Amino acid sequence: MSSSTTKQGLFNFLGVRFKEGIIKTVFFIAAILGIVIIFSMLFFLLKEAYPLPVDIWRFISDSVWSPTESLRFGAYPLIIGTLLVTLGAMVIAIPLSIGSAVFISEIASNRVRSIIKPVIELLAGIPSVVYGFFGLIILTTWIKDIFGVSTGESWLAGSIILGVMAIPTITTVAEDAIKAVPREYKEGSLALGANRWQTISKVVLPSALSGITAAIILGIGRAVGETMAVLMVCGNAPIIPNPPWNVFSPIRTLTSTLGIETAEVPLGSAHYHALFGLAALLLVITLLINLTAVYILRRLQKKHHADQYKKRNIIPVDIQFKLKKITTSFILTLTLILLYLITGFVVTITLSILALLIFYLRKKISTKKIEMIAFSTITMCILIVTMIIGVILAYIIINGAGSLTWEFLTQPSKNLGREGGVSTALLGTLYLVAGAIAIALPVGVGAAVYLTEYTRENTLTKIIRTAADLLNGTPSIVFGLFGFAFFVLYLGFGFSLIAGQITLAFMIIPTIFRTTEEALQSIPPGIREGSYALGATRWQTIKRVVLPPATPGIITGAILSIGRAAGETAPIMFTAVTFSAFLPSSVFEPVNALPYHLYIIATNVPGERAQAVGSGTALVLLMLVIGLYLVAIMIRNHYQKTMRW
Amino acid sequence: MSILMLITLGLMVLTGCVSTEDKLSIVVVGRDSASGTREFFWEHVMKKENFTSNILEKNSNGAVHQTVSMTKGAIGYIGLGYLDKKVKALKINGVEPTVDNVISGAYPISRNLNMFTNGEPTGVALEFLKYIDSDEGQKIVREEGFVPKTSTGPYIKVEGLSGSINVAGSTTVLPIASKAAEAFNQLYEGNLVTVTGGGSSVGVQSVGEGSADIGMASRELKSSEIERYPNLVKHVVCSDGIAVIVHPDNKYVDDLTLDQLKEIYKGTYTKWDEIKQ
Repeated sequence: MSSSTTKQGLFNFLGVRFKEGIIKTVFFIAAILGIVIIFSMLFFLLKEAYPLPVDIWRFISDSVWSPTESLRFGAYPLIIGTLLVTLGAMVIAIPLSIGSAVFISEIASNRVRSIIKPVIELLAGIPSVVYGFFGLIILTTWIKDIFGVSTGESWLAGSIILGVMAIPTITTVAEDAIKAVPREYKEGSLALGANRWQTISKVVLPSALSGITAAIILGIGRAVGETMAVLMVCGNAPIIPNPPWNVFSPIRTLTSTLGIETAEVPLGSAHYHALFGLAALLLVITLLINLTAVYILRRLQKKHHADQYKKRNIIPVDIQFKLKKITTSFILTLTLILLYLITGFVVTITLSILALLIFYLRKKISTKKIEMIAFSTITMCILIVTMIIGVILAYIIINGAGSLTWEFLTQPSKNLGREGGVSTALLGTLYLVAGAIAIALPVGVGAAVYLTEYTRENTLTKIIRTAADLLNGTPSIVFGLFGFAFFVLYLGFGFSLIAGQITLAFMIIPTIFRTTEEALQSIPPGIREGSYALGATRWQTIKRVVLPPATPGIITGAILSIGRAAGETAPIMFTAVTFSAFLPSSVFEPVNALPYHLYIIATNVPGERAQAVGSGTALVLLMLVIGLYLVAIMIRNHYQKTMRW
Repeated sequence: MSILMLITLGLMVLTGCVSTEDKLSIVVVGRDSASGTREFFWEHVMKKENFTSNILEKNSNGAVHQTVSMTKGAIGYIGLGYLDKKVKALKINGVEPTVDNVISGAYPISRNLNMFTNGEPTGVALEFLKYIDSDEGQKIVREEGFVPKTSTGPYIKVEGLSGSINVAGSTTVLPIASKAAEAFNQLYEGNLVTVTGGGSSVGVQSVGEGSADIGMASRELKSSEIERYPNLVKHVVCSDGIAVIVHPDNKYVDDLTLDQLKEIYKGTYTKWDEIKQ
């Protein structure tokens, strides 16, 4: 009797071990997939880029991009353009986003938070095509009128649009990071008599620094990778601004070059190879950006942990002090000279006096006043962000509401979209997004579970994380080109639903992976240990203890991904779309999608009526995304209410 | 850190206030390097000389139209079908850009829009091409603002036509093909023709590789493509006149010679008042 029980137990034990092993392998495969994707992407881009029409050095350094007329393939002005536009976007997005994140997590009341947070997430759901049209019609006109320049299509316009587009990404992730700072830290600081601002600036933000850096990386990824909006507002002249700080100069990025030239280029021509060369170059640039970011992140983390053992100073303190002084004055002089060159005498003097005033007054103001100033600045940030959302939404709603009827939603389009509705495009978008999520969610979550639950930090996990970061920073247009080269041409899928779904899935895997990982890491280890101590296996612990409280975080990731997938045009433009008003009868047929429908109507169908229908389509797309978001946010809030430990 | 960034932002803004010009500058707007329209313009207007590097590049007719209609000093070129009251079309060598003037050959800037099949077309593809050549098809061409060719008379429906084809390629030809497909499918009461965009090169490539039955292109085949797909057969769909447009408030010009147009796109003129009427 007793021996059979033991046998049974042993059997169960082996069965459990076997099951655990299989589950672990499945997660491992999911984790490895990111690396596979990134390498196959690089491989196929390079394969299509070969042979480059000119040698690599000339390709990078030549300052003329004229692929069809003077046959010069110089990526240099495009690289500079990409860097400048992204830099400008970050100047705008970083302070606003971090201000917003601090406001949401530290200053706002629960009620305000529950309104503001979804509103900012909505900003991520506005499709890039809509941003592009808003930018082209409203923003460039403002820039033109306010500054009296001959055209508003410029570096500045691109940076503003990209900055706005990066805000929700940075804010959401930064806010999660700030929220993850243990409460004891804050309580300790407050108990020592520090006020709220001192606590935020000296305790909360430094502790959340790695998360905020990650947020900024994600934001840069979003900005570098954006195609449709940028190509609509930047003017696309392949020149380096002259003088180099002239923000009103038109500018051309790598992505917009790919976006506007790929569709029409003859396959296998020198121009074609050069474009794939650009795509590979884009990948390499994102690689460099991400590696730099990872390096900074590691150093910051080390600095945090290194406090217990004293740092040995090689340079004596007084010399260090002098060095610091010299550097500061050098930078100051440089800034002044630059300022003078750019703005002239009067402005320089005014600004310098202002700066001096601030510098000397800073020490005289009480900490209470500083707190007040800081809080009002932060509130200003959130106000600006809400205002931006308000203006964009108002524009779309006012222009689109006229054509929005029940027929518009339920009829397929007729007469090139001028009559009828958008039903097939709407369903097409749903097919694409549903397929993409169905593929990406298991992979992204699986990879995150493997990394946080099954392994310790080692070389492999580092490589996997880096691969995920690289994928995330990879521009959507590069996914489009890869999808075109791999699924459409190499695998022979042609323009098809399945090619679009997989391409979109590849694009959103890193977002899901990152947010899931963040959510899993914020669960205290003690809870897992408790589960193990009770005799639960690893998979039981993950399923019953770890995943449920992480669900809200995972859903946040899924929300961001859905928003991104539904609004993207670039990845499906070369893989999946048709303008025809049919629904596909199999996954190997092309579909129409809302953003593409909007893009074609607005750019290729002439006439007043088409513009009105375009605005209507934009509104439908927006409502679809908002609907999805609201459902997801409700699910998340529900979980947040029921899950507490 | 955020203060530094705000200061930088301020600087960026201030930069622009420095120089405001009195005379209206010419803002040259053109198409992207891969565009068939641009290639045509380069060969026939620029005589293969280089465009100014300051040219704003747009990837569609609609986008060029949009920019020109909003920018006082802008000049651009678009297909005839895109003309409306929001932009002013210029006469070229004294000839107005109208469908009739393109047909008569008086208007100097026009080109063919093409479809390609791999070998001689059969079945649905043949009927669809016949449909486009017919009165009905060429009526669609005219409605969409393109320049029709002489039509072959009314389309005669054939009995027992079955199968389905995929048409892919140039977004310039897409409006005609989509609308023709809509009518064609209605006539035969089934989804016989599906139309996909992608661009001229996608069109040539997909018909060459067999993933599409008909490829659309707003340009002629390149030598590399002929080498790769020697069996492609060309069918001219219609012509497309290319109109030169400026902002409706532009009082400086109504008429340009081809030479003046070329000099503007070369960047020789930078202000509108430099151009003598």
